[in-house]
Amino acid sequence: MTATLHALMLASALAASGAAVASQDDPGPIVALGFEGSQTLIKADEKALYRSSDGGRKWVAMALPPAARGHLAAMAVAGKGKGALYLAGPGMGVLRSEDGGRSWVARSRGLPDGKVIALTVHADQPDTVYAVLAEHGIFRSEDGGASWRLMDKGPRENIVQFVHSNMPGSMQSGWLFAATTKGVSRAMDCFCGWRDAGGLAGKVSAVSYDPGQPQHVYAATSDGLFLSVNGGEQWTKAVTPSSAIITALLATSDALFAATGDGQLYRSADRAKTWNRVGA
Amino acid sequence: MHRKVLAAAIGLFGAVAVAYGADAALPPLDTGLVELGRSVYVKRCASCHGARTEGAPGWDRPDAQGEMPAPPHDAEGHTWKHSDAMLYRIVRQGWRDPFNKTERLTMPGFSGVLSPREVRAVITYLKTLWTPEQRRFQQEESRNQPFPRDP
Repeated sequence: MTATLHALMLASALAASGAAVASQDDPGPIVALGFEGSQTLIKADEKALYRSSDGGRKWVAMALPPAARGHLAAMAVAGKGKGALYLAGPGMGVLRSEDGGRSWVARSRGLPDGKVIALTVHADQPDTVYAVLAEHGIFRSEDGGASWRLMDKGPRENIVQFVHSNMPGSMQSGWLFAATTKGVSRAMDCFCGWRDAGGLAGKVSAVSYDPGQPQHVYAATSDGLFLSVNGGEQWTKAVTPSSAIITALLATSDALFAATGDGQLYRSADRAKTWNRVGA
Repeated sequence: MHRKVLAAAIGLFGAVAVAYGADAALPPLDTGLVELGRSVYVKRCASCHGARTEGAPGWDRPDAQGEMPAPPHDAEGHTWKHSDAMLYRIVRQGWRDPFNKTERLTMPGFSGVLSPREVRAVITYLKTLWTPEQRRFQQEESRNQPFPRDP
């Protein structure tokens, strides 16, 4: 009942504010990428969400509640891209949409505050969501964000972004790979210890993995893009799409997408050997 | 006579409750199972996980062979983060860290060594080493993943 009321309030606020259209005249850095189904690409900058059904040539802005504007830090699509859509960011907590972004419900009950800096969805369990809160650690929800539990303090270094992976070998059901202020950290999703994943130094801005080959992990650093084919044990330098810093990565079974700090989006179909600018 | 027995039973329960960190939200642990588990631990687990369940030195990073040393089972470790079902499975079947630099199991399986009751017993003993908060967490994790029923 409360959730329904909140959804109505958010929908009303949207209608009152005319928030349905966000200008792309001055695109900011893309903070997250996702796929809705197999065809629809979604990108998020700090202010808005955009959806493209034609491979990134044309983008349509999606409505966001006023609380989300200017605070977006993370976006995730559950259920292998077929389920709920989640947004999160400092000051906005977690929002969930079950209708493709037409309406949003606050899903922050059980979180100590709204300072969510990263969010990811379990690779195989669409109702399991993980959120990083700046001053607290990593929270897990197993009911689509309706309730949350503090699971872990997180790795030694601060998490910038993270992703849940179904790479085999975990004691539980998968792994978490975290881009941190110093390298990539890796933990099983039972949270029994974070370990450095390979020897990447410096800040990692984004991490993603190939769902078709989960041992293949990509990491973006200020020194460029790196690929690991053994779950983060060793990294080799890959071709970087441009000289701009990569701000978001999305690996699918047949492509790798990289968003850069100048607002551009690139696609590689050969594991980061060559790149094409999306929409060019 | 009956009163004396009842008083003794209450006294015993009280002592057990204190000894095992009983908490209003936590069910008391089966003392018989705890004692069995303690003896199983000493006999089968202590050589790797430490006589005081403190784990091997440097347990949180790979050793010189590239293997993860045995972790502690007390409140300093992370055993309490796992459900009963998972702990049972790991003790019975063993587990190999996929990033081990050797082919050896990180944790050997004890299915041919320990009976199902002994496995449950040793896990129950480990619960006496955790804080009430850790026990509550582990109890919650086990709600949907309890011990399997004995065959």
